[in-house]
Amino acid sequence: MKYKLLIVSLLLLGGSVMVSAQTEAPPPDSTAAVIDSSLFPAPVSLLEAFDTDNDHGHAVTLEWETSADDGVGMNSVIRYEVYRWVPSLLDTLAALNSNISEIRGRLLRDEDLPDDESVLASLREQFDMVLDGLEAAHAAYPENGEWRKIGASPSGETGYSNTGSKERGNSEFLPDFCDLYYRVDAVTADTDIRTASVIVGPVQSSGQWINSGRYPVLWAVLIFGFLTIWFVRRARKGAELYVRPLAGIEAVDDAIGRATEMGRPILYVLGLGSAADVATIASFTILGRVAKRVAEYQTQLLVPTYDPIVMSVAQEVVKSAYFDAGRADAYQDDIVHFVTQSQFAYVAAVNGIMLRELPATNVYMGKFFAESLLLAETGALAGSIQISGTDEIAQIPFFIVACDYTLIGEELYAASAYLGREPVLLGSLKAQDYAKAAVIVLGTIGIIAANLDWTAFTSLFRVAN
Amino acid sequence: MTVHNSLILPLVTFHDVGMVVSLLAIAAGLIWLFIRSLKGMEVDRRIIFLFIFAAVAAPLLFPFTFSEKATPVVKALFNKVESLPPGSHVLLSYDFDPAMAPEVQPMANAFTRHCLEKGHKVIYMCLFATGQGQFEETMRDVIAPEFPDKVDGVDYVNLGYKAGNEGVLNVIVTDFEKMFPTDVNTVPYDSIEVFKGIKSCKDLDLIISIGGGRPGIKEWVLFVGDQADVPIATGVAAVVAPQLYPYYPKQLLGLLGGIKGAAEYESELVRNYPRFKDSPTPGLKMMGPQTLAHMVIMSFIVIGNIIFFTQRRRERKS
Amino acid sequence: MKKASWVIMALVTVVFVVSWIAKSSSYNGETDNYIAQGFLVTFAAFLTLSIMSFLYKDNPFYKFAEHLFVGISAAFWMCMGFWSTIVGNLIPRLSSSLSEWFKVPYIESDYNIAFYVPVVLGILLLMRLSSKRGWLSRWPLAFIVGTTAGLNFIRYLRSDFIKQISATLVPLVVDWQGVGHFFSTFSLSASGQFVAIVTNWVVFLGVFCGLIYFFFSKEHTGAFGRASRVGIWVLMITFGASFGYTVMGRISLLVGRITFLFKDWLEIIG
Repeated sequence: MKYKLLIVSLLLLGGSVMVSAQTEAPPPDSTAAVIDSSLFPAPVSLLEAFDTDNDHGHAVTLEWETSADDGVGMNSVIRYEVYRWVPSLLDTLAALNSNISEIRGRLLRDEDLPDDESVLASLREQFDMVLDGLEAAHAAYPENGEWRKIGASPSGETGYSNTGSKERGNSEFLPDFCDLYYRVDAVTADTDIRTASVIVGPVQSSGQWINSGRYPVLWAVLIFGFLTIWFVRRARKGAELYVRPLAGIEAVDDAIGRATEMGRPILYVLGLGSAADVATIASFTILGRVAKRVAEYQTQLLVPTYDPIVMSVAQEVVKSAYFDAGRADAYQDDIVHFVTQSQFAYVAAVNGIMLRELPATNVYMGKFFAESLLLAETGALAGSIQISGTDEIAQIPFFIVACDYTLIGEELYAASAYLGREPVLLGSLKAQDYAKAAVIVLGTIGIIAANLDWTAFTSLFRVAN
Repeated sequence: MTVHNSLILPLVTFHDVGMVVSLLAIAAGLIWLFIRSLKGMEVDRRIIFLFIFAAVAAPLLFPFTFSEKATPVVKALFNKVESLPPGSHVLLSYDFDPAMAPEVQPMANAFTRHCLEKGHKVIYMCLFATGQGQFEETMRDVIAPEFPDKVDGVDYVNLGYKAGNEGVLNVIVTDFEKMFPTDVNTVPYDSIEVFKGIKSCKDLDLIISIGGGRPGIKEWVLFVGDQADVPIATGVAAVVAPQLYPYYPKQLLGLLGGIKGAAEYESELVRNYPRFKDSPTPGLKMMGPQTLAHMVIMSFIVIGNIIFFTQRRRERKS
Repeated sequence: MKKASWVIMALVTVVFVVSWIAKSSSYNGETDNYIAQGFLVTFAAFLTLSIMSFLYKDNPFYKFAEHLFVGISAAFWMCMGFWSTIVGNLIPRLSSSLSEWFKVPYIESDYNIAFYVPVVLGILLLMRLSSKRGWLSRWPLAFIVGTTAGLNFIRYLRSDFIKQISATLVPLVVDWQGVGHFFSTFSLSASGQFVAIVTNWVVFLGVFCGLIYFFFSKEHTGAFGRASRVGIWVLMITFGASFGYTVMGRISLLVGRITFLFKDWLEIIG
């Protein structure tokens, strides 16, 4: 250890002279004698190497001040080449690895090569032995290794990031928690004319548990999570949380009245979502409300479903709505029935119901895909009043043109919270409202900041990759 | 319309006559429709379908093309491919199926032409199982006939399909080989020339996802673009294009929306590389039917609105 | 069946057979299996026309094509799922003998005991088929829902929330060098200063009014109501643009099909 430290400090003191003697890239002695020493550019200065921040490890960042001959002075530097001290064991590893993959390829192509299999086994053994010695080899600096070019930065640049592989078998393996040594050469157009920097090291790379560049996401998660829990608790305690009335929901009551007057049924479509989709869950609440009114008015209700689980949940919802309305006797199990799990076959079946039963009102609430226009258009042709709501943005335009009322995106959730007064729904709706308010406020400040070039504020929203 | 200067040739060709006749027929039909509905008569919806069919079929039988000028969103992507030095690694992900192909296959073919012509190394993969078949179309229509000297594994490589949707992206953003130990022809990753110096998506110079469904460009942005800091661009079916504009230009480098985007890219390609003058340009060819069909639809909207307002006025008077 | 139905059926059969013969003879010499090739193209054209016939009215040809499509796609996805997920992703990492059996290269270096976890979860998911043990399938489902929610929550928050907010923070006065400069270099070109300023204002107002429209905790009256009106206008314009794009997309698909009919089947265009 002492010996190692001595060598390092000697090297640091010795600077570029020592380095050029040690490396293979700078000119051999014979040419060095020929080249005028005044042609060599000044080396980079203040070279620093440190572990790359906010990463998974296996990476080191280098920073330096440009050479006195880059852009100014002789202006001869065209690029900076970055060298790292690499133990020769890595080469052995790479050779073994390529041997192994070659034999494996041969075995894949041709099955009868018993010899190769035994060679493969012994190669594997050697490979594993080398792997085990890798960390120790890195600690053996400066013996059994060489300076190897790992990359370059164009002139004018003052940094380089050396990202290695985390796979130990890889030839670009860069171990964590091992001493690494770097140097940077200032290179001129004639690549023989170059000057090496002092050697920096030892430096160790390591991974970080927390990526501080992503703090904005963490804050957003915490604030939003807190708001949600806070409002859900308030709703549970029975606090009065205001939700504005929505036109589409008011229309549902009128439409049920109309159906009763006309003596025609009401068709309720839950969409193609599964019972776990938020839109479908919201739709259940609205279905409960519709079913209750239908039971009170003694109108007929039709609920064809696409998903068996959605069907069983919907049956429960309708049943309890009929009970609430005091019309349990009017409830029948086939109000909610299963059709099929094939998208367009389902559409065909529902379209058939629309044309045969001629419902006075069609309600589409939930998740819809390409079938949205097919359903809504047939309903419009049949002359029904149509009310729709979905959070599938791509389908909203179709509903808007073909339906009388449409709940756009979040309005569907709001409608369900408005009708159901369920604490979880109501609480999260409130939390979302406050998040939106925060966006409006922060956004307005941000825009002012952007106009005034006040980057401190706008950088709050910068998230690292 | 082409006008021949030579006196020996007839001044108008069969194509010109056909085109004019069909345009007149469609125009006359629209006027008939207008008069009919003005009189308060119902128009059968099948007649509307017939009009659309005629508007699409006529320009296919008697082709006419327009010169397209690339909009900034398309130009940005074209310039990016253009400015990358030869030998750069470009990944083309075929995230579509035959149902989307008429819209996006022309884009995929144009990207392939451009990248191979510039000497980029192209990596093909797909997140849709059926994307594999669509790549074979590119192979058959573009690579085999137009770039016979390009070698599989050296100039381009096809990784094929892997199940897992965004899970695939989550892995290749840090390690290609883990997800694709071999290419589609079971050549091991290590021995593929294209992958020299490529460990993960982070080492690529450009990623282009071609598609319009899920998984698609949205997943590429979420799982790769924003994660690995690689420039990402896309060519998508028209239906999803409006939803992607918010990502441009910060999270998406460029965007080709529907067949119009494909046509713009093709015209830009032909303008910069005269060698592709005779290559098929399905995107540009489709703009004829598009234009005529859009004009017919717009006429329907205008006619519908006029009828609506005149009828309302009539009802108010009575 | 009515007499007319028989006539139509016979007519379609005749056209089909004639087309098959004609296509096969046109492929003769180009490929070895020209009869199969002729059949494929004819059948594809038949299916295309069958589906399109729905525009006239619902009919048996349409129903046939639709059911064929549903059945084939279900089978295709099932096979695809097995071969690409289980055989493609799992088996090469699990067992060398199974890999050999399925003729896929075994990935020795990737062997990890953790790969048995998805196997177990997958089997639990299949328990849904049993009425008694069906509840077991909820565990893998919970795993799927939980991990996807966790993965997506962070990613969406970053890409769709914070990065989008950051993209909205645009200067409302771009490259402002004074009123005189603004008027002297006034241009309507897409890259000009005027257009840049207008674009940024539209982004700013659109985002904020749109957010206000989706604000449910306050009655939309007064200034708030007016902003909300602007918000709904912005939304409607967006939906209009989306609708226009959809029309373009659908027509492209129609062009694709008609090109197939004209070029590959009828060969009347080049």
